Amino acid sequence: MTRTDNPIARILIYIALALFTVYNVLPFAWTIMNSVKLPKDANARIPRFVFTPTGDNYSELWLNMTPEAFAPYGLALILIFFVLVVIALSANRIPAPNSVVYIGCIFAGVIVAVALPDIVNTAEFYDYLINSVIVTVGTLCVSLSIGALAGYGLARFRHVVSVYILVIALAFRSLPSLALVLPFYYLGQLSGLYDTHILLIFCLVAVNQPFTIWMLRSFFMEIPREIEEAAMIDGAGRLKSFVSVIVPIMWPGIITTGLFTLLLAYNDFLLARILTQINWTLPVGIAQFTGGEDPGHVTLAAAGSVSVTLPILVVIIFFQKYLIRGLASGAVKG
Amino acid sequence: MDRQTFSFFVGPSVFIMLALMTLPLLASIVLGMHFITFRNLDAPQWIGFQNYTDVLGDPEFWDSLEFTLIFIAIAVPARIVLGLLFALLLDQITRYRGVFIAAALVPFVMTPVVGTLIFRDMFDRGGPYWYWMQQLFEYRLFMNSTTVPLLIIFHSIWTATPFAMIVLFAGLQTLPQESLEAARVDGATWLQQLWHVAIPHLRSLFIFIGLISIMDSYRVFDSVFVLTQQNPIYDAETIMYYNFQVALSFGRLGKANAMSVLTVLGIFVVLIPFLVLTYREQTEED
Repeated sequence: MTRTDNPIARILIYIALALFTVYNVLPFAWTIMNSVKLPKDANARIPRFVFTPTGDNYSELWLNMTPEAFAPYGLALILIFFVLVVIALSANRIPAPNSVVYIGCIFAGVIVAVALPDIVNTAEFYDYLINSVIVTVGTLCVSLSIGALAGYGLARFRHVVSVYILVIALAFRSLPSLALVLPFYYLGQLSGLYDTHILLIFCLVAVNQPFTIWMLRSFFMEIPREIEEAAMIDGAGRLKSFVSVIVPIMWPGIITTGLFTLLLAYNDFLLARILTQINWTLPVGIAQFTGGEDPGHVTLAAAGSVSVTLPILVVIIFFQKYLIRGLASGAVKG
Repeated sequence: MDRQTFSFFVGPSVFIMLALMTLPLLASIVLGMHFITFRNLDAPQWIGFQNYTDVLGDPEFWDSLEFTLIFIAIAVPARIVLGLLFALLLDQITRYRGVFIAAALVPFVMTPVVGTLIFRDMFDRGGPYWYWMQQLFEYRLFMNSTTVPLLIIFHSIWTATPFAMIVLFAGLQTLPQESLEAARVDGATWLQQLWHVAIPHLRSLFIFIGLISIMDSYRVFDSVFVLTQQNPIYDAETIMYYNFQVALSFGRLGKANAMSVLTVLGIFVVLIPFLVLTYREQTEED
């Protein structure tokens, strides 16, 4: 649409957008400040933007011991973990097959994650993090693999059955998840699967599946049929041509869908709250900070909030363009 | 692709949806016909439709439905209008667009429980919004049965406006250039372009955002859980939250199942036209 040339109008537009940005990020910025405040600063009647920062809240949240007892080994392990992430992100530049690099990094990362609690005496919050990682990664793997197969099948099989499946999936997408989770709760209690990762993962996969197949299908529809037909003429079967030809060019679509799945699994509160008792995930762990009169409570809750949010923000900022493309794809088609 | 390969590809996903969505849903209907508490989990007692009539005669159920509908009536239009406003502003500029969009993603991707906790802190005593309201308007905000429901609605607008903004902004980039050019040649003002070209073009997106928003608002739970601190005095229960309470706080599992079946029926009333529309669209493509 026509852009205004009026300089005053342009300035006003920038001011409005700047205010909108402040409105979007100020609460989180305020929480970051609270997370490094002493309780007396955080509980002041007049909001304090200037104060002496402290790391106490984070060590109280993550560790059972005082910071002095924080063994150098622990720091070393955390450092190793960051190095692993950096290696994994620059896998393309390392003269070894990517898969070897990834598997090595994941393997080493798991060892570090398992060894850490023994060395630095981590608090419960660390267990919530591990639970969250297990549930999120499990949901991602199961959901994307079966979702990609189904999305591909639905994109290629032009038959009324495909439409039925898609429409029913859409109806499922709108269901209040409580309608599904209460029977799960009941059956979980009876079968002994209550409070296990596996039950939560499968529940999240199910809730997420309708969205996954719709989104992946729309990405597969954009890939011309000729590509896999060429591979099939060369003698590859459907599955082989899918894995070796289609999936490699579909990475952007899979990453986009994966991001939405990741947000759903990592951010989920209701399902985890109902299906777990002690194996809490991070959102359930943080929700315990919703009450209480203890003055240290605000700062601890803030440290917890920042700890829960930072990983997801880092991932989102890193893959921002995929997320925005995913949101916009609804737009382009509409 | 033949039928056999199709079943091979789609089978696992359909199986998961059948086993983990259809069956629980049917189980919900049946469990709703039993009297179940934590004490008789393994020996539910058949009571027919009593739970269903119980729910329909429960004034708290209707209260929570009423609040949910008020929530939808305010939050959904507000998200679309604000989203359109900021999408139009973004459309006017080119510099720093990425920064504005990235910042807007923060409330959108943040874990809802955490987002609500943070949001509440801003309005709680000693929080910046609380302080500025007091300084500028001499208004002292207390958490009570008027403000907490409003904060719940405001919070949902805060988190969902960026979604509407990004979708509508992407839609604005696909406006038909010929129509815009024709409108310009005819001397149409910006407002006339908006009204006659942009809004009709974005119509299907408004429906898309509206439906997603209605579905998500209908099942809002996390923000109620955090903002009310599970305290009934704020009188801000949504239907999902009340359902959760009946299940876990009151331990009436049978009644809770009956209630969730009824809420599913409720959302289907809204949804059926949309499903029919989708069915037509998809069969026409072929």
